[in-house]
Amino acid sequence: MNKLLSTACLALGGTAVFLSVGVTTASADWPTKDVHLVVPYAPGGTTDVLSRRVADLLQDALGANVIVENRPGAGSTVGTGRLARGGRDADHTLLMASPGHTIGAAIYPDLPYDPVEDFVFIQNVIDIPNVMVVPTSSPYQSVEEFIEAAREENMAFSHSGVGSSIHMSGELFKTLTGSNMTAVPFAGSGAALPALLGGDVDVSFENMPTVYSHIQSGDLRALAVTSQERSPYLPDVPTLSEIGVDNLDQFVTTAWFGLIAHNSFPEEGYDAMQAALDEVMEREEFLDFAEQLGAEPGQVEGEAFKQFVIDDLARWQEVAEQAGIRQ
Amino acid sequence: MSLSRSSAANSAKDTIDIVTGLVLLVLSLVLAFYLIPNYIGEPPILQNPMMSPRWLPNIVSWLMLAFALLLVAQGVLTKTAKEGDERKLVKGPVRRFLVMIAGILVYVFFFEMLGAILSGVLATVLLFLAHPVRTWWAYGFAIALPVGVTLLFVNVMNVPLPLMPF
Amino acid sequence: MDNLAEVLQLFLSIDNFIAIALGVVIGVTVGSIPGLTATMAVALALPFTFSMQPVAAILLLVGIYKGGMYGGSITAILIRTPGSPASACTLLDGYPMAQQGHAKKALKTALFSSVIADFISNIALIFFAAYLAKIALNFGAPEFFWLICFSLTIIISLSSGSMVKGLLAAFMGIMLSLVGLDSVFGSQRFTFGNYNLMDSISFIPLLIGLFAIPEIMEFYRKKAMPHLKAKASGVGMTLVELKRCMKSIVRGSLIGVIIGAIPGTGATAAAFISYSEARRRSPNKENFGKGEVEGVAAAEAGNNGVAGATLIPLLSLGIPGDVITAIILGAFMVHGLTPGPIMFQENLSLIYALFLGIMLSSVILLVVGNAAIKYFSLIADIPKSILFPIVLMFCVYGAYAVNNTTFDIWVMLAFGVVGYVFNRTGIPAAPFLIGFILGPMFEDNLRRSLLIGNGDLSIFVRGPITWFFIVITFGSIALALYRFFQSRKEKTGSSPDNQSA
Repeated sequence: MNKLLSTACLALGGTAVFLSVGVTTASADWPTKDVHLVVPYAPGGTTDVLSRRVADLLQDALGANVIVENRPGAGSTVGTGRLARGGRDADHTLLMASPGHTIGAAIYPDLPYDPVEDFVFIQNVIDIPNVMVVPTSSPYQSVEEFIEAAREENMAFSHSGVGSSIHMSGELFKTLTGSNMTAVPFAGSGAALPALLGGDVDVSFENMPTVYSHIQSGDLRALAVTSQERSPYLPDVPTLSEIGVDNLDQFVTTAWFGLIAHNSFPEEGYDAMQAALDEVMEREEFLDFAEQLGAEPGQVEGEAFKQFVIDDLARWQEVAEQAGIRQ
Repeated sequence: MSLSRSSAANSAKDTIDIVTGLVLLVLSLVLAFYLIPNYIGEPPILQNPMMSPRWLPNIVSWLMLAFALLLVAQGVLTKTAKEGDERKLVKGPVRRFLVMIAGILVYVFFFEMLGAILSGVLATVLLFLAHPVRTWWAYGFAIALPVGVTLLFVNVMNVPLPLMPF
Repeated sequence: MDNLAEVLQLFLSIDNFIAIALGVVIGVTVGSIPGLTATMAVALALPFTFSMQPVAAILLLVGIYKGGMYGGSITAILIRTPGSPASACTLLDGYPMAQQGHAKKALKTALFSSVIADFISNIALIFFAAYLAKIALNFGAPEFFWLICFSLTIIISLSSGSMVKGLLAAFMGIMLSLVGLDSVFGSQRFTFGNYNLMDSISFIPLLIGLFAIPEIMEFYRKKAMPHLKAKASGVGMTLVELKRCMKSIVRGSLIGVIIGAIPGTGATAAAFISYSEARRRSPNKENFGKGEVEGVAAAEAGNNGVAGATLIPLLSLGIPGDVITAIILGAFMVHGLTPGPIMFQENLSLIYALFLGIMLSSVILLVVGNAAIKYFSLIADIPKSILFPIVLMFCVYGAYAVNNTTFDIWVMLAFGVVGYVFNRTGIPAAPFLIGFILGPMFEDNLRRSLLIGNGDLSIFVRGPITWFFIVITFGSIALALYRFFQSRKEKTGSSPDNQSA
């Protein structure tokens, strides 16, 4: 057996040498090896598809391999927790953060990391607005009408799971307007759609890409978008903040996606990444991709991105508290 | 077929069923009185008892309790089937079983530490030795397959298995 | 005529043929490796489709999907390791068949019924999409609730031997499926503060653990048996057998089509419903679970009948029924196409080109599957002392690969022990699995209905679909009880010890 083991080790040694002379093409100080992009969600979701697209483009811009790693679990907190632990590859590991980062921190107890202090915030890559939609058969033509009705009777809103940005947007709307609303959970947006189309639920705050085609085909009516500015894809639809009812002017949320890294991420890596991302975000392919999602390129980077995350976190903590979601 | 444990086979009851039923009985009691009240949070306001996160677990634990009792009763009343009982194994040497356990433990304890290749080779060789494979060239598989499959997962399928302990 | 030319121009491109063939090959391969699922393969292939022509891109993904559906059955039959959840049902009869030296027959049966079901499913997609989509839209939470109730009744017919044990297994499955965060309030259930448990127990490690690991453990626990060589791969499926199974295949396909057209139910339920129906109607009921050809055929038909049908809500409504169709939806959008009624108006020729490709994929599946069987059935000839260590390696890698965490290796091992204990105590694993799959669906749809109905219970009887499922649910229970007492009578009538418990 000893003999066998040593043979095994020999063979393995050989493989290791073979592996270590792999790809090292970059000439700058960073990256010096493959870059890992952690996606804290399962393959196939929006975050995953988007990350793979970005990774693909980053690969050219950085001149190094960018390997996507899915580490799903408990919102996004399992993957994020892993990044927070650091380790030997932390200087070459990025994570695609999303509202799950802040909402997760707001609703999960005793996270093993600090969602702000443990990370370096590189850049917000893409922003997807949520759209407040009702079925076409719904009597409500505007947000005002809806709120008026929702104060009289109970409204059901569908969402794609506890702690999703769709769920939290609904809860935020409920708190800001004082409406009677019941959250009806579904396993993902795909499962939630039929209930909305069929009129089982009254309203939803869905992500733009999920409902855009249904708005176009007239099956759903968009009452408002949740972003700061009107969406270029739905120019006639007002933003919730411009409607100016009650406290709705505070209602600005988007499904944001941005790259973050562990605290120990090197300075040169940070600079290289910003340069690469600036390049990526100007590429035709990237802009096309964003358009297909009904999304817009991210606005903030560095410190501003960090501040954005801090504000987002504070808001969701408040909503989670009021809605009683925090356990 | 000869049974290694045939003591209970002659009396008019099925010992395995009785024991299984009793174990499940205890399990359902633990669930109903300890785990569910202590490890499932209940929201402060509920419009309907069926909405509670504890509703289904409670029902299922009571059903388990009832059926565990039934199983015990069934075990007391029916005879053990003597022939062709699939539940019983003709046991082999204990050492072989232990080496197999060791092989599995290599995976669970050392998978991330040693990496997929090393733990794969180690465990596969252990298992080969457990139920002795006497064809020497077969041991080549024990090395080639973990290496090949790991590289396939990592490079082709893009599944980042832990590679090496360094 | 103009249209036809356009359709053919879109379809008759070498790229499309390569895409379908490649897709099916990738699907079959990936589907047959435990832990690598068709979902993963489709997600990984998606970025490659960005630069392709839309028809070829979609066909590649559809090819992977269909190949993967079938591929899962290969390892289920040969090494009792279901490559995908849906093939867990194929294993019930497929593995015993392989053990009796009919590996090739089981594989061929799986292939033929897969291809036939696939074909029927495609026909449904092409000709009845509009009708089935309407049903899908009328399928709200209360309708789902009753469908799940009906599906739960198949536990009774799946509990071979002892109904008590089968139900106990199902209850345990339901209980374990509830681990994680509650879907309405987000409260933790049995997570014990462990973050790995918050997203509930991962399915693939559970599946591998429950079926493959006990088999490996038993092999090392048992007295060594001489390896049965030679005939292991055996002969293929005969025409007579195919004829005999045809009814079950068609029935299974139709069950698959209906389940597939309803977003969010999934192939696993379809496979089990089809299987239990076939068993209920079969003259050799006793042989089910012990290596019955018809069992394999019914399971695979139900499972593959879903594949084409899940595209119905996707294409006609723009609603993805599962993760794979969600990714395919993404691929459409990347090419500037939005599935739904609008696409039928604006890109009709593209849709017909897709339909042609999807039909072709059934044929290619037959060819690729046949070639695969030739090589895969050799696995049945490998002595177990060499095979099982390698299977274990695949199991571990696969369990890890699902979420990239060693925790899942633990999960797999834990369920391996559970499965081993189940075998020793005669508790059937299939009802456990059904409980695990359907438990959360049952609870979610019950609560969803209550939420939507705002406390008004009449929502549970709100329309003809609910009435239909209520009737067949109670009918199914009544029938099971009737049979149960019938067999009791027979038992007490004849000598008491010729029946096993």
